[in-house]
Amino acid sequence: MMKKTVSRQCVAALAFGALILSTSWASAEMRQWTSSDGRKLQAEFVGTSGAGSTASVKLKLPDGKEVLYPVANLSEADRVFVQSNLPKDPAALAAAIDALVVKKAKESYRGLQGELAALPGNQDLNNDEKRKRKEEIEREMAMAIPNERTNDNQFVRRVYLDIAGRIPTYQEAEAFLNSSSRNKRAELIDKLLDSEAFGMRMYNYFADLFRIREGIFMMGNGDLKADPYIEYVKNSMKEDKPYDVMVKELLTATGKVWDTPASGYLLADSGMRLCNLSNTFTVFMGTEITCAQCHDHPFEEVYQMDFFKMASFMGGTETRARGGNMMMMGSSNYREEVARMNKVLKDAGKLRENENQDRNLGQWIGTNSIQVVDTGKNAVKLPHDYKYDDGEPNMTVDPGAYFGNVVDLEKYETPRQAFADWLASPENPRFTINTVNRLWKIAFGVAQIEPVYNIPGHLDGQAQNYELLTFLESMMKDLDYSVKDFFRVVYNTQTYQREAETMTPSLTQMDKGTYHFPGPILRRMSAEQLWDSLVTLTTPDPEAVMRRGADAYRNVMNEDLAGLKTAAQIEGWKERWRKAGGSLYSDEGGMVGRDDNVGGEKMFRASELRQPERADHFLRMFGQSDRQLIENQFTVGSSPQVMALLNGKITNAVLTSPDAYLIKEIAFGEGSKRDKVDKVFLSVLGRYPTSDEKSKAQSGMRAKRDRDASDKSKEAAEIAAIGDVIWALVNTREFMFIQ
Amino acid sequence: MKEQLKNLDQLGRRQFVARAAKTALGVSILPIGAAPRLASAAGGGKAEHCIFFYMAGGMTHMETFDPKPGTETGGKTKGISTGVAGIELAEFMPGLAKRFKDIAVVRSMTQQTGDHRGGSYWMHTSYQPRATIIHPTMGPWAQSLLGKKHDTLPDSVVIGAGGNHPGAGFFGPGLAPLPIGNPDSGVQNAEPYKGVSEDKFDKRMDLMNAFDDGFRRKFKNDEVSAYTQFYEETLKLMDSEDLDTFKLEKEENYNQKVQKYGNSRVGKGAMLAKRLVKSGVRFVEVSAGGWDMHNDLWNSIPTRGGELDQALSSLIDDLKAEGLFEKTLIVLGTEFGRTPKINANGGRDHHPRVFSTMFAGGGISGGQVYGKSDKLGMAVEENPVKAPDFNATIAHAMGIDLQKVVYAPSGRPFLVAGHKHNHDTDQIESVGKPIMPFFS
Repeated sequence: MMKKTVSRQCVAALAFGALILSTSWASAEMRQWTSSDGRKLQAEFVGTSGAGSTASVKLKLPDGKEVLYPVANLSEADRVFVQSNLPKDPAALAAAIDALVVKKAKESYRGLQGELAALPGNQDLNNDEKRKRKEEIEREMAMAIPNERTNDNQFVRRVYLDIAGRIPTYQEAEAFLNSSSRNKRAELIDKLLDSEAFGMRMYNYFADLFRIREGIFMMGNGDLKADPYIEYVKNSMKEDKPYDVMVKELLTATGKVWDTPASGYLLADSGMRLCNLSNTFTVFMGTEITCAQCHDHPFEEVYQMDFFKMASFMGGTETRARGGNMMMMGSSNYREEVARMNKVLKDAGKLRENENQDRNLGQWIGTNSIQVVDTGKNAVKLPHDYKYDDGEPNMTVDPGAYFGNVVDLEKYETPRQAFADWLASPENPRFTINTVNRLWKIAFGVAQIEPVYNIPGHLDGQAQNYELLTFLESMMKDLDYSVKDFFRVVYNTQTYQREAETMTPSLTQMDKGTYHFPGPILRRMSAEQLWDSLVTLTTPDPEAVMRRGADAYRNVMNEDLAGLKTAAQIEGWKERWRKAGGSLYSDEGGMVGRDDNVGGEKMFRASELRQPERADHFLRMFGQSDRQLIENQFTVGSSPQVMALLNGKITNAVLTSPDAYLIKEIAFGEGSKRDKVDKVFLSVLGRYPTSDEKSKAQSGMRAKRDRDASDKSKEAAEIAAIGDVIWALVNTREFMFIQ
Repeated sequence: MKEQLKNLDQLGRRQFVARAAKTALGVSILPIGAAPRLASAAGGGKAEHCIFFYMAGGMTHMETFDPKPGTETGGKTKGISTGVAGIELAEFMPGLAKRFKDIAVVRSMTQQTGDHRGGSYWMHTSYQPRATIIHPTMGPWAQSLLGKKHDTLPDSVVIGAGGNHPGAGFFGPGLAPLPIGNPDSGVQNAEPYKGVSEDKFDKRMDLMNAFDDGFRRKFKNDEVSAYTQFYEETLKLMDSEDLDTFKLEKEENYNQKVQKYGNSRVGKGAMLAKRLVKSGVRFVEVSAGGWDMHNDLWNSIPTRGGELDQALSSLIDDLKAEGLFEKTLIVLGTEFGRTPKINANGGRDHHPRVFSTMFAGGGISGGQVYGKSDKLGMAVEENPVKAPDFNATIAHAMGIDLQKVVYAPSGRPFLVAGHKHNHDTDQIESVGKPIMPFFS
């Protein structure tokens, strides 16, 4: 089924003429070729054309005739042979994607055209319905025509927001706009993918997906710190750890979070192993099986038994270690040790009169028992009211996968490792599809299959563009699951670099998969993009301050407590514990205190602040996820948001007071002689003002000028006027949306 | 069961799409239909409003509504007479003891968990926390099942709660209670920033509209229009009298009232709650902490207990004086009680096995106690009441249909006071049952 489709696609791609011939391969040696269904052929290898799954080999037959043959239809051995000759450069892959997008859009346009022509004769619809359908068709036809290519201003702002998670600074925007390099877009994409900011931006995405929060547990009280896990996710993205490797690490990590940071993923659902399984399916396979926990799936072929066989893979995995001695480094017994330390504190008069125990010591040290361990005993049982005839209530079942490869448990130490290998495998029909579907959505605002958490079992006809989706799938495999390389291709496509769609795709379009990507959709910035863009307006280097706490936390938790003999030593340990998480450091290495904030607000990147922020914080108001549920962020507007922008501290003081960074930069900074209005517009919107806008902005500045006023008061008036322009621009929809 | 679930297909699919739209486009299209109000069955349905006092940290039952003076666990706490033979409240609740004929006490609450957030979640939602869904709290449930109560004011407001409030849960941000941090500071950012004159504000708005004109003309997109509408509505709100509702200092005889209710979070919270209810807000939660008394309990209980007693007593008096008592339900809840055994630090620890809550007004018959704890305050002896029953009592008082099935966007069914599957009827039904003696 799959192969057939791929070959169809190859022919189609050829017909579209998006060929990139790779003919550098010189050695023309006659060899035997075998197709996937076993047919054989003698031919010379001439080269390849196309890229990824649309690629073909060019073969020279003994009679001298050259033919193209789809790589996908070759035997495994022959595919390996040509693999190294396939073009993997982003431009070639991007061109192949563009061709598939345009092809689908054309098909759709013609189909709609046909329907429109036949509409007057349609007997099934009355006139009203015909009028309505006509409007829909015309709307969809308009959306099937690719949009114009973005200009450099639109591009620079969007690509910064998508890859770096924030708008460009004035200097960054200008550097790009003034560059005369022919490849400047590709160069900027490379630069941003390699930046610190990319790790932060992707962390924000995964923090929402994995529900990363201080305290780690859903109902956590903060005795456990999330710093190691947070840094693990950021670093994995920054170092471009292959995505399948990261997923396996998350699923198989063993131990305490400060020693094995990836264990944070399983610890997050401590005590809720069935929920954790559902979440794992949603996040990594785009499959919603929560309902099968209680009954057979109503829409898909998933039975309650399937759920419990799946859950049994993780049935021997616990998030608490039992028994006292194994829990700690160095010290012998946790209770005795805590009791000893409490006595030392009491004797030294460090506890209150009526108290005999320190308020935190026991709890903090007690977190040593929180760790991922494999017990070897499957704790998952069928529910007490199991009612199907393939099992008895309260029975344990053997681990087993209901789709994909059959798992051979014998090959693994624990069923958990077997599960991780099965899940994050190129053979898993849902893992890679889910990965590319989610990443595509980051770039375009709409996925190929919506909703992303519920990819149907039968993809054909559900995906926006099935051929494109399978192309992306094989491309991701070819790229060895490099998230950076995947994005490098996607951001280099013409499809991405087109203007944002001005219309909202209808629900029917979403449901039927008939949005054909005339460009990305217009999106409101995420809460983090919005906040980080505001941060960008307060500093020349938005990534200068970072949160670092994992090392300090590991050291403090691995300290030999028996060595803490005196009250001062114990209190010193407590102080180190307190400081270990969440601390901010500037890139010179110094710790950033509360006093270093801008106007009393911590204007640092969202990924470096509290996870998630407190409920009344700007970030949460604009939709930062509360990290309780997968993808719980929102971009819906509200009055409190508008009030925060109109009357809040950030727009009225942090960005616009006389000592605000941007005000000083514009009024007195480098290049302050240049047009101030240009500079404000470029800083906030990444574009220059129109002449109308310019005169409007300038008239504000001029109105305050008075012939008799002193220089000082003129300057103050001008600064106030610049502040008004900044305020006004930050309040525009143009600022809040990504076009 | 399977057949029945198949019938969900249509609805389920539509809701998947609705959620898809929400997550893809940021526009919620889930209609929240208003249901006709139930005929007030069996004494319920009289409460048009509800003020829910939530005592965060775990309110000690032994020092409030269920004292055990003279027993080995009773500590220093004495009992005081309520005027009803055989029923005493703790000495720290003198005002409520005097108003005992107006209040109904539950002494047999019981919980499954001793952790604060889990317990609080359960009390607020009737459900245990799950990592795959957030269940709504009672205010959003009321709005969803009864319809919006007031045109411009929010349906539910939460005063002084931290960041872990489950809010509207799966109903989404559209039904989220309006959060107010401090009762004195009202709605955040509701007035122009200090030093920004009306002239300056207007001039800035004028610039904003001019700069944004081109963009708004190009993108006539639902989301962009929605924001533009939010700006218009917010400007109207800033000019309207609705905002005054949230300004506590506009309360008549403010200083005297603060004296009366107590200059405390719970006292001012109660004052603001009354003000909001009077203006038409349906559900107000007043959250107050300081109850996690692991250490030196008898040092803090006189203040903490006194503040609560004063706030509730004044609220009952005021609601009565203004004729609102019969249509306003007052509820007092907490996540759990505290250990009868006094610990090494002179405090009490977490005790989910048994604890107390209280109801008043809104059609509740006062002067009674429901359920009973054992002699030492360790366990339930009679008529256990769980979180779903507690919320079912609130729902019944407010006329909310306990058996109305609501589907989360993921297609999963839920009820206002928890649900279970009845194998005999093959239907899902409410777990929670109202405390019916309170409605006699």
